[in-house]
Amino acid sequence: MDLGFTTAVYVVAAILFILSLGGLSGQESAKRAVWYGIFGMGLAVLATVIGPGAGLWQLTAVLVAIGGLIGYQLASKVEMTQMPELVAGMHALVGLAAVFVGFNAHFELANVLTMDDTAKKALDGFAALLAKKSGAEINILRVEASLGIWIGAVTFTGSVIAYGKLSGKVTSAATKLPGGHLLNATAAISSVACLVWYLTSGALLPLVILTILALFIGYHLIMGIGGADMPVVVSMLNSYSGWAAAAIGFSLGNDLLIVVGALVGSSGAILSYIMCKAMNRSFVSVILGGFGGTAGPQMEVEGEQIAIDADGVAAALDDAESIVIIPGYGMAVAQAQQNVAELTRRLRAKGKTVRFAIHPVAGRLPGHMNVLLAEAKVPYDIVLEMDEINDDFPSTDVAIVIGSNDIVNPAAQDDPNSPIAGMPVLECWKAKQVFVSKRGQGTGYSGIENPLFFKENTRMFYGDAKASLDQLLTLISSS
Amino acid sequence: MIIGAPKEIAVDEKRVAMTPDSATQLQKLGYDCLVQSGAGVDAGFSDAAYEQAGVKIAKTVEELWRASDIITKVRPPEATEVKLLTKGKLLISFFYPAQNTDQMALIAKQNADVIAMDMVPRISRAQKMDALSSMANIAGYRAVIEAGNNFGRFFTGQITAAGKVPPAKVLVVGAGVAGLAAIGTATSLGAITYAFDVRPEVAEQIESMGAEFVYLDFEEAQQDGAATGGYAAPSSPEFREKQLEKFRELAPEIDIVITTALIPGRDAPKLWLADMVAAMKPGSVVVDLAAERGGNCDLTVPNEKTITENGVTVVGYTDFPSRMAAQSSTLYATNIRHMMADLTPDKNGQTFHNMEDDVIRGATVTHGGSVTFPPPAPKVQAIAAKPKEKVPERSAEEIRADEIAAFKQATKNQVLLLTIGGALLLAVGAYAPASFMQHFIVFVLSVFVGFQVIWNVSHSLHTPLMAVTNAISSIIILGAILQIGSSSFLVTVLAAISVFFAGINIFGGFLVTRRMLAMFQKS
Repeated sequence: MDLGFTTAVYVVAAILFILSLGGLSGQESAKRAVWYGIFGMGLAVLATVIGPGAGLWQLTAVLVAIGGLIGYQLASKVEMTQMPELVAGMHALVGLAAVFVGFNAHFELANVLTMDDTAKKALDGFAALLAKKSGAEINILRVEASLGIWIGAVTFTGSVIAYGKLSGKVTSAATKLPGGHLLNATAAISSVACLVWYLTSGALLPLVILTILALFIGYHLIMGIGGADMPVVVSMLNSYSGWAAAAIGFSLGNDLLIVVGALVGSSGAILSYIMCKAMNRSFVSVILGGFGGTAGPQMEVEGEQIAIDADGVAAALDDAESIVIIPGYGMAVAQAQQNVAELTRRLRAKGKTVRFAIHPVAGRLPGHMNVLLAEAKVPYDIVLEMDEINDDFPSTDVAIVIGSNDIVNPAAQDDPNSPIAGMPVLECWKAKQVFVSKRGQGTGYSGIENPLFFKENTRMFYGDAKASLDQLLTLISSS
Repeated sequence: MIIGAPKEIAVDEKRVAMTPDSATQLQKLGYDCLVQSGAGVDAGFSDAAYEQAGVKIAKTVEELWRASDIITKVRPPEATEVKLLTKGKLLISFFYPAQNTDQMALIAKQNADVIAMDMVPRISRAQKMDALSSMANIAGYRAVIEAGNNFGRFFTGQITAAGKVPPAKVLVVGAGVAGLAAIGTATSLGAITYAFDVRPEVAEQIESMGAEFVYLDFEEAQQDGAATGGYAAPSSPEFREKQLEKFRELAPEIDIVITTALIPGRDAPKLWLADMVAAMKPGSVVVDLAAERGGNCDLTVPNEKTITENGVTVVGYTDFPSRMAAQSSTLYATNIRHMMADLTPDKNGQTFHNMEDDVIRGATVTHGGSVTFPPPAPKVQAIAAKPKEKVPERSAEEIRADEIAAFKQATKNQVLLLTIGGALLLAVGAYAPASFMQHFIVFVLSVFVGFQVIWNVSHSLHTPLMAVTNAISSIIILGAILQIGSSSFLVTVLAAISVFFAGINIFGGFLVTRRMLAMFQKS
């Protein structure tokens, strides 16, 4: 096959990828969209393997088959609650692949540069492409390759740490080495210095140092970001893996890589932006880690938390006409989504209006709650976004908060000194009655006291979310 | 400690301050319960029922007062009872301290404590012990029942084979707890109900109970109900005139009038005057819930039912709650029980009289040998939401102008961005070689397409989006495939590892996405 054909296939693949992302605008079209993506990927890989420049297709096939098998196993076994970890972990793979491919570009370049003209003519594939490059083009190539390596390395360690934090293997609190941002800045400046060194010498050493610096930045950057900001981090890493692919695409002169890398990169960036807007935080302050300084002391919370048992909740649910459930990360941790779904089914069977209110940053991934509820077969047309449901709370009889905290914190509106002041929140306290299913009296992920728990119309339903709901289900008959 | 409930000595008082149910709850707080023999009989609780709930029975009043550390009563203590209230005892009952200053001083001198149930502050936390509200609720209900008893017709309108029955028209004056309860009862019996109150903010509550709010055409600075603890305050003479005029206009049509208007610390305002009663149809009924404080109606005789010359029945009973002794005793005993729960934070049968607590402080009228009435203003200000501020309606022109301004701003921003972006692009183009620019254009366009496409992705699909972009980002495999055939062994190995990793990612990513999407379903 010649280059023209491959390019044509690339165009088709690129269009399929764009359609695949665009199709995610609705639940129904999304099911079709994912097939576009799969088909596009298949086409792209096949065209590259049989196209000019590729070799050892047998090895490629075997490796893809083995990798695919592992990927298949991973993806089919994973619990939906572990989805954030899986996605974060897979970003690491892309990052690492980008680093290797970038290094390969360097090695090939170094090889080609040592050859004489006759040897160059005998080359084919990627090496042949390199051989034709002029001096300026070679420098650009080096910049591109090192950029790809740098971003790839940051993505790799960053994703590994994000994976650790999400799966609880690394502490989720924001921790920084002494020096903090200065350390990151120094590493970044040193990286630029290494790049200059590499451009002038073309040696391997500066590239290796650059990689190590990038690995460190990825590690330190993500370590410094608290668990509550993980949705932003994961989508940011997603974006990085795209940019890495795009940079590698430049150095290899492969347009499809560039197109897809740019698509992924920009989509991740927008997603991060949307998340940040949902939390009323500037993107920079999330990335640099930690909450901004508060202007004064936080409001003191007065009153007491009043506990209630399952009987009380069941009685109130029995009387209620309209019910809104607000799930949070606690539901995911307790794996309580099936129980929530069962509760919903039973209440709906009794003719009650049951709806779900999803805050944009509920959970540890954007859209985390939607996926969990979907897994438990909660119909998606009763699962509403914050803006759709916030006005309905005053006419709601019972709001049930299951394992969420900051996203229902009235301090965000009432207390200008609260660290989350100004963040849009679900105004569940406007409902006639609020039940909060919560493990104990402690504060949430961000360590902020929640005045909701002290409100007059709030009752605390203590205990593990799943156990509590089990108890509740025995009291609410299925008929 | 022992909690005792004596038999009420006031004539015709049927209520009792402790029921077998409340005694069970009090015992859970660690108290022993004692009741005077026969105390609950009028309310339907026999001595046997108390004994079954573990309550001891005291034969005489003296025995009960002597044995109890805490005495719970309904009516304010009478002189004989005050004598029995010796040092260290705690009395919980209605007390009306403002009218009972002499007794209060006497009790303080005897070094006994009194918690007045009628002084419980009106804050949300104290609602569970707000005995005035529970009694008012019963009074409101009973007022409608009494009215029905004296009213010769149906409440509902009916069309029967024997002829057409018009519905009764009920007017409730004063929409406090009693008024609202009366509205609810009257509407549920099928009457057409009107209600009036000087506080315009209760219009919503009245309408929610199913009555029609009688609006006055009168401009006056709105009273803030919250400032007076949710109670009504006296109104200006002009307002009163307007109000009476409205009542006069309504009187001939109304079959039943229930008045509940009270202003704290004053005699009941006269609102239903003699001429209005005269204007009513024969057979109509006026029930005056304010009779104890002089009555809202000119013709009210406290504690009695009278019939006027033109055949209107005026009911001036003052003991509505007592007429439903079983219900009112249950509610009152529960109020007391909640008060005890607050007084017993450790549930160990020992009271802790916390004078820092707004509710306890507010209700305590004598403590530690001194009079503690009136209480300081509570820390937490009460209830009553602020009236909504009206958003001025904006004219079409204004909206249009805003839209144009927004459009202009958006255009400006976009043009600015495009200019900067274009300039940067040109700057890159001026220096970079052509081969780079080719790819660079592709890159810029792709970023642009990405931005355009992703904005439309729905919120709930963000996780699948991430999974699918993750899968797609393994396009890096192309780079590895291109390098795997290299002559250099190192390059081949690294490329092979990359192919392997990317392979995991492709399959894993797409499969996970499919799994997620397959789960979304419509109901």
